[in-house]
Amino acid sequence: MTRTEILNELKKVFAPYTTNKEMLAGISDQTDLIRDLKINSANLVDIIIDAEAKYDIEIDYDSADKIINVGTCIDVIMEKLNQNK
Amino acid sequence: MISTGNDIISLNAINITRTKQEKFYSKILSPTEKELYNQAEFAAIPFENFVWLLWSIKESAYKYLKRNNPTLVFIPIKFTVKQLLIPPGYTLTNFETTQLEGAGFNNKAALKGVITIGDDTLYSNSLMHRELIVSVVNDAENFKNVCWGIKLIDGSDPEYQSTAVRKFLVERLKEVLHLDGLVIGKNAIGIPTVLKEGGELPVAVSLSHHEGLIAYSYR
Repeated sequence: MTRTEILNELKKVFAPYTTNKEMLAGISDQTDLIRDLKINSANLVDIIIDAEAKYDIEIDYDSADKIINVGTCIDVIMEKLNQNK
Repeated sequence: MISTGNDIISLNAINITRTKQEKFYSKILSPTEKELYNQAEFAAIPFENFVWLLWSIKESAYKYLKRNNPTLVFIPIKFTVKQLLIPPGYTLTNFETTQLEGAGFNNKAALKGVITIGDDTLYSNSLMHRELIVSVVNDAENFKNVCWGIKLIDGSDPEYQSTAVRKFLVERLKEVLHLDGLVIGKNAIGIPTVLKEGGELPVAVSLSHHEGLIAYSYR
């Protein structure tokens, strides 16, 4: 799975938690989940759990530490997918 | 540097089913913290409220510490709520107003907590009603110098809420500081600051919004 494929799928994961649909359509690695997408911090656990279910991975606390923007979110998902191989 | 941290949760906006699932709450509560819920005093509080109460305490503690520790990342499980005391005779009631402001939590039915992260120990006061949970964190048990406010607003758009909570705080600060032209800015790490003619005032502030609820604390 490529970074672009994961980025496109993440748009669906983030969609229920952001009202900024225009920003969501054009997300890049640098897009900040809280500052740019205006995702409430109370929904970050939802996003982690949705990503875990979508990719059949487990995101531990140390990895969750790294999820700040779209790029680091993709990094963590790719790392966990590679561990599952 | 003085600091403050607050958080507000709209209990009408939470996903109750998901909150009760272990895969969800185990990312917020440690097994020891879950044990706190087994205290007899918590029997009248739904488990989902307990989970979000601890979330709000931990997020408030994170905001308190972030001001002086810019690299800190919010991982709820790394913040430990060691103690949580419910006022005697506490029952869950409606909020029954649209705006509430105060200094300290004397004469309020506040739940009092003690939080640790690494070498830091912090203290919390939380108000919990059927509609909302609001928490404020301080570095001392005495909250007499900590002011806070809660307001219900129409509209859940994050930009609108962000503007509304700044206006709510500015109106309060204008009243207590007798200063016009106050603006709420943000420093390089995203911590809100109070500005007057471009200069930062020595007031620590914290802002929070969730759905139709906004809240501030300052010190």
